[in-house]
Amino acid sequence: MSQSFTRVELLRRGAAAGVVIALPTSFLAACGGDDEEAAGTTTGEKKQLAKTLRFSNWTLYIDIDEKTKQHPTLDEFEQKTGTKVEYFEDINDNASYFGKIQRPLSQGQSIDRDIVVLTDTSRFPSVMIDRDWAEKLDKSAIPNFDNLQDALRSPSFDPNRDYSMPWQSGMTGIATNTELTGGKPVTTMDQLLDDPSLKGKVTLLSEMADAISLVMLANGDDPTKVDDASFTRAHDRIKKAVDSGQVRQFTGNDYSGPLSKGDLAAAMSWSGDVVQLSADNANLVWNVPESGGAIWTDNMLIPKGGDAFTASTYMNFVYDPAVAAKIAAYVNYVTPVKGAKEEAAKIDPELAENRLIFPDDATLSKVTIFDSKALTNQDYLEKWQALIGS
Amino acid sequence: MSAYAATPPRPSLLARSWDLVRRHVLTVYAVLAFTYLLLPIAIVIAFSFNDPAGRFNYTWQGFTLDNWRNWDAVPGLVEAMTLSLQIAAISSIAATILGTLIALALVRYGFRGRSTTNFLIFLPMSSPEIVLGASLLTLFLTLQFATGFLTILIAHVMFNISYVVVTVKARLVGFDRHLEEAAMDLGANEWTTFRKVTLPLIAPGILAAALLSFALSVDDFVITYFNSGSEVTFPLFVWGAARVGAPPQVNVIGTMIFVVALGLMLVNVLLQRRKGST
Amino acid sequence: MSFFHRHRGLTPYLLLAPGLAWLAVFFIAPLGFLAYQSLQSGSFDFGYEFTWAWDNYRDAISTYHEHLIRSFIYAGLATVLALLVSYPLAYWIAFRGGRWKNLLLLAIIAPFFVTYLIRTLAWQSILSDNGYVVETLRTLHLLGEDGRLLATSTAVVAGITYNFLPFMALPLYVALEQIDPRLIEAAQDLYASKLQAFLRVTLPLSLPGVFAGTLLTFIPAAGDFINAQLLGTPRQHMIGNVIQSKFLELIDYPAAASLSFVLMATILIGVILYARVLGSERLTG
Repeated sequence: MSQSFTRVELLRRGAAAGVVIALPTSFLAACGGDDEEAAGTTTGEKKQLAKTLRFSNWTLYIDIDEKTKQHPTLDEFEQKTGTKVEYFEDINDNASYFGKIQRPLSQGQSIDRDIVVLTDTSRFPSVMIDRDWAEKLDKSAIPNFDNLQDALRSPSFDPNRDYSMPWQSGMTGIATNTELTGGKPVTTMDQLLDDPSLKGKVTLLSEMADAISLVMLANGDDPTKVDDASFTRAHDRIKKAVDSGQVRQFTGNDYSGPLSKGDLAAAMSWSGDVVQLSADNANLVWNVPESGGAIWTDNMLIPKGGDAFTASTYMNFVYDPAVAAKIAAYVNYVTPVKGAKEEAAKIDPELAENRLIFPDDATLSKVTIFDSKALTNQDYLEKWQALIGS
Repeated sequence: MSAYAATPPRPSLLARSWDLVRRHVLTVYAVLAFTYLLLPIAIVIAFSFNDPAGRFNYTWQGFTLDNWRNWDAVPGLVEAMTLSLQIAAISSIAATILGTLIALALVRYGFRGRSTTNFLIFLPMSSPEIVLGASLLTLFLTLQFATGFLTILIAHVMFNISYVVVTVKARLVGFDRHLEEAAMDLGANEWTTFRKVTLPLIAPGILAAALLSFALSVDDFVITYFNSGSEVTFPLFVWGAARVGAPPQVNVIGTMIFVVALGLMLVNVLLQRRKGST
Repeated sequence: MSFFHRHRGLTPYLLLAPGLAWLAVFFIAPLGFLAYQSLQSGSFDFGYEFTWAWDNYRDAISTYHEHLIRSFIYAGLATVLALLVSYPLAYWIAFRGGRWKNLLLLAIIAPFFVTYLIRTLAWQSILSDNGYVVETLRTLHLLGEDGRLLATSTAVVAGITYNFLPFMALPLYVALEQIDPRLIEAAQDLYASKLQAFLRVTLPLSLPGVFAGTLLTFIPAAGDFINAQLLGTPRQHMIGNVIQSKFLELIDYPAAASLSFVLMATILIGVILYARVLGSERLTG
């Protein structure tokens, strides 16, 4: 059964943000409770929170109050704990950011950050953990840990979540501009790759994890356990579609423009983008493919030299459902926090019904996390790069 | 009577009409070229007035002045632009000075290693930004030089020098030395000659080089990214924002800078007119 | 050769010193490190070792010569197109610009204020399958009914041309503006037609600008990767894309480094040949 997310279900960002901004902070303080003191005393010793928390994140990936030009949840954190957050929006690509930080880390130097955010469709969270470039979380400071969605509890790169906590998640599926497909959304990878009526008007993601996952699922293979045979099957199928001209390009999220203009009929795409695009164009719909889709996470990690206690305290703060609801309302990606949906419903019922931000269990059961071992397999990576042109 | 006057024969009507057409063809062509050049800018300006419901600013939804009223609504954007402009101003001045000196040396003097320098100056331009940026970062890390404003500045001056050298050389190569000789013959010493004759005559070359390096600096992404530490310049911000949808304020800020710069130049032009200088 | 006889010995070195010192520290030193990396072997997972691995260069050329050639073709086409568009433009500003010259120069670099990405996305919008440009081309039968401009080499070359236009226009302007209009008048007084005056007087005098402009356009364009990425398909990818992927995604520093040197060496050889062909000392100074 395919589910299309239509415009009715998709939200106007302006309305949501406006409603959430109006929420008084005292309401949230009452909700959140005083976790910090509790966390400090349960271990027996009073751990000190650092004066500043240095947090590197992706651009425009946290709530913003357009009137005060501040980030409300960061201010809230400061009010609650006294720790100021130095917020840096200097991550715009996993590989580039990693290229920048890997030299100091490899020499044992600190990069002056307490939290960085890296995506698990890249190899970098694995690398950070495997090479001991990440500090362990102080789980005693994260009682809200239990609010983490079950589906995200045990990723292969961090099976016990000792080093990372998801920041936001997203799903990979197929976006369709129904104007070009006679009103019907593209719901299967088979159609995306083989339907001649879509020839030259289809794009795939350049992210190996996303593209290979979806094609492997369409082939009947399991992307959580990649082996040479299943990889090759997926690789060859994609190559065929590229060589025949079916697939126009491999894209990052630059499919957005052509899709909304009708240059593309269908695109392998991320859920968060379509939330935005469909607000302006009712013909744009998004689906998890029938054979299954992917879910990826942007993970908070503590780089070596960062203050684990303060960072963990912040993570705990963000896993408070009320806070998570505020962030999700602005960012419009999938929130990893259980209970955020209910909190959001109290503020804005329409937002809570948005299945692209708060997916239901049926949707979550159809998306998989890519095998992180495949992400560090140099052979696969080279084959993939050769396929996408380089 | 006018046996020795070298009057050219009167051009025929055909020649004169052709002349007229040709005169205007150039203007028409120039206008077309400018349109081509500024077309994307026109789109950027137009879309600064767009009112999308979502975050992507690709299709026209409706006119609004809200983006302009809330031009500083996006935290970090204005700071990023300010930083970019500061760095561009300082680095282009520094690069222009250093590059002009090199150009003068290369064109006017014979010295050992002249040919080599002439060609080696092209190397910074030809090396891919990503490896250059990363290697420069390694240098800073080895020297334990903290990355940030200064390192961005250093990097920008570095890659701009070559462009300045090549641009200024294009002016110097055609420079008429006899003017300098004449000045010296009239009693000016070297420094005065340079100041009053040479410099004014090569000034357009130097200005063009400065403009080019300003543009390069304000637009640079890759090298800046690696050497920026925690600083965020305008291109860095925009590349990151484009992932989730660059807000129309990006268009607004870009337009503002463009308009302000043109405005300043316009004022300059009008002032010159007052003074009566051409 | 030197005009300032007294200081012939030291002056050039004094002039060169600041700039070259800057480049020595902040360009040559990193380049040295890059050279060191290019001769390493190994991988990110198991570490890199310096092993005089000249194989990296051989592998680079044999695997990616196609990308190299393609990059030079695209950059070459873009340079020629940029020259054709910019020369009349620069000429017009130089000879007809008057008071407005500087303003017009500023207008030429104006596109740089909105960042490379936004400019290229704007072109993605202009060249859209449903946009005016493509529709016009279809009407004129220059494109098939189902033809498109996006995701083709045409779009990539067009994108490169556009992004490097100021690099061509400004040096051209610089050389053209220096030409004394009276020389052209004199030629016409001597019965030369406008065309002849242009070909015999203006063009030769502007050659230093042509030389500078073509190099300032071609050289960086050869290493470009953004246009191929956004406006092209995998078949249009250039050497810049390869180096990008080697460095960032595959974390294969020796490969990225050796490819970079191959690119730089090829460009340098090309520049030397070009200078020989176009002229000599008078041209390059």
